[in-house]
Amino acid sequence: MNFPVQVLVVSFVLLLVFNVPVAFSMGIASVLAMLAMGDLPALVAVAHKMITGIDEFSLLAIPFFILSGLFMGHGGIARRLIDFANVLVGRFRGGLALVNILTCMLFGAISGSATAAVSSVGGFMIPLMNKRGYDREFNASVTITAATTGLLIPPSNVMIVYSLAAGGAVSIAAIFMAGVIPGILVGLALMVASTLISWRRNYGKGETVRLSETWKRFFKAIPALLLIVIVMGGILGGVFTATEASAVAVLYSFLLAVVFYKEVKWREIPGILLQGGVMTSVVFLLIAASMAMSWVLAAERIPQDISAALLGLTHNKILVLLIINLILLAVGTFMDMTPAVLIFTPIFLPVVDTFGIHPLHFGIIMIMNLCIGLCTPPVGTCLFLGCGIAETTVTKVMRQILPFYAAMIIVLFICSYMPVLSMWLPEQLGLLK
Amino acid sequence: MAQWIKKILDCCLEGLVMVVVGVLVIDVLWQVFTRYVLKNPSKWTEELAIFLVVWVALLGAAVATGRGAHLGIDYFVQKLPRRERIAAEIFAFLCIVLFAIFVMIAGGAELVRMTLHLQQKSPALGVAMGYVYLAVPISGFFMLLYGAIGLYERIRAFLSQSEAAEGPLDSAGRPEGLPGREDL
Repeated sequence: MNFPVQVLVVSFVLLLVFNVPVAFSMGIASVLAMLAMGDLPALVAVAHKMITGIDEFSLLAIPFFILSGLFMGHGGIARRLIDFANVLVGRFRGGLALVNILTCMLFGAISGSATAAVSSVGGFMIPLMNKRGYDREFNASVTITAATTGLLIPPSNVMIVYSLAAGGAVSIAAIFMAGVIPGILVGLALMVASTLISWRRNYGKGETVRLSETWKRFFKAIPALLLIVIVMGGILGGVFTATEASAVAVLYSFLLAVVFYKEVKWREIPGILLQGGVMTSVVFLLIAASMAMSWVLAAERIPQDISAALLGLTHNKILVLLIINLILLAVGTFMDMTPAVLIFTPIFLPVVDTFGIHPLHFGIIMIMNLCIGLCTPPVGTCLFLGCGIAETTVTKVMRQILPFYAAMIIVLFICSYMPVLSMWLPEQLGLLK
Repeated sequence: MAQWIKKILDCCLEGLVMVVVGVLVIDVLWQVFTRYVLKNPSKWTEELAIFLVVWVALLGAAVATGRGAHLGIDYFVQKLPRRERIAAEIFAFLCIVLFAIFVMIAGGAELVRMTLHLQQKSPALGVAMGYVYLAVPISGFFMLLYGAIGLYERIRAFLSQSEAAEGPLDSAGRPEGLPGREDL
């Protein structure tokens, strides 16, 4: 490691430890590293990298998916999906847990925010499950882990961020499609885990719904489910770009929440716009600052050094994937998703490239790892939110959430070593470059 | 006084963010409409959308600084006793203030000057790119104000040792242990 790299790494880590926001830490560390590199106009260069990092049309999909997620979360869409999921899986043993998981997956397919899933699906399902005799901690565990499937099932903002951080190596449509099968697999694995537990604890079976009722619920859920068709169908059919589809999603979810289901009042709209604006800014400042930092990384040839170091250890692709998975799992326990993707994509992508791992496949592995991180302490957004809703503590949940971690990790390893699971769908749809 | 300035700032900037986000949605919807319904895609909507999102992102980033909404790793700092934690917060705010002054304001202003000098114009709207980039120093200015207010409050809290009952003061200004962040 030469001097500028040492400056970058040491200052960045120190700033993070002192709780300086990640975006500022990246910016300051980049300035210091550029100063250490000598004769660079560091201040202007960082400002320039930052602004050119965000003046990108494809990034507009982020504020729009955030906004449509907010409308979906406030708009009573979760309840319609729960009713619908109940028809499909409610009758089995531990039915409510299955309903919870399936709803999270469906919700993920229309909103793509894990916290929105925990609060709007969990906010309804957890109290209901508590009442029906399921353990509080079990209910929290199911919701927390199932909510993360929404980040793998498109649309998903973290995938847009990955597509950007990968520097155009993957298109947004391709990474969206790559997540479908792994996302469904995680959901299925969680269902298996919850069913096994439900059998052992003899949790109740749900209602069997009559046919007429089935149709009624299906029709009520159709408007919400239609959004999947509009967004994904629009992008895949080449009708919309991802950005245009996201804008249509805002309009559609707005109409659904405000006009059709009438669960969002007109006077709540400015607040939603503001919340969406601030959330967008948080992501965009991270993206902006990460552009400055990844410029330094590339200029100092850090990815090449890491590749060389890894190649010195092993030439085995499986072992390399294992090492990278362990690093990302560790990172995910401490760091939120967007900063983690922005920091580690430019470092690891060239590395995995030398080992013949496709950027799409790697993106899915990375996101799956970080999803597990959302459910683990010490920093786990979903974990804390879920514990709050279930009115229990992280310590109590830890014992019961272990089987669900196991399910997620098993699927992570299956997807790591079977690239076909991520690659097949984009390949069939002709989205590979 | 500090609270008072913060309220005024919040009011203006938040209002602006709301309006611009709304305009942004309408702008891109208009683009979709012109392309698929009028079959005559508008040339300027895409450019306007980029300019708007750059401005909203940077102004919103200042608002987010005031709210402590920027993501950080609070794990280590939370383990510290109260006084040391406030000291760490003072350091974090100092970093934000310095970044705002040197990179966003000084670096940003120089960037604006250079871009205006090169007379770089956007292709469809013909706006000088320097004015688009003006968002950096302006956002830096508001970030500096929010950062300075945060710094002032923390220093006051640090100096008044007796205020033990005041409750935890984490950078997000939210009660300890409760998550206030979204999954970003």
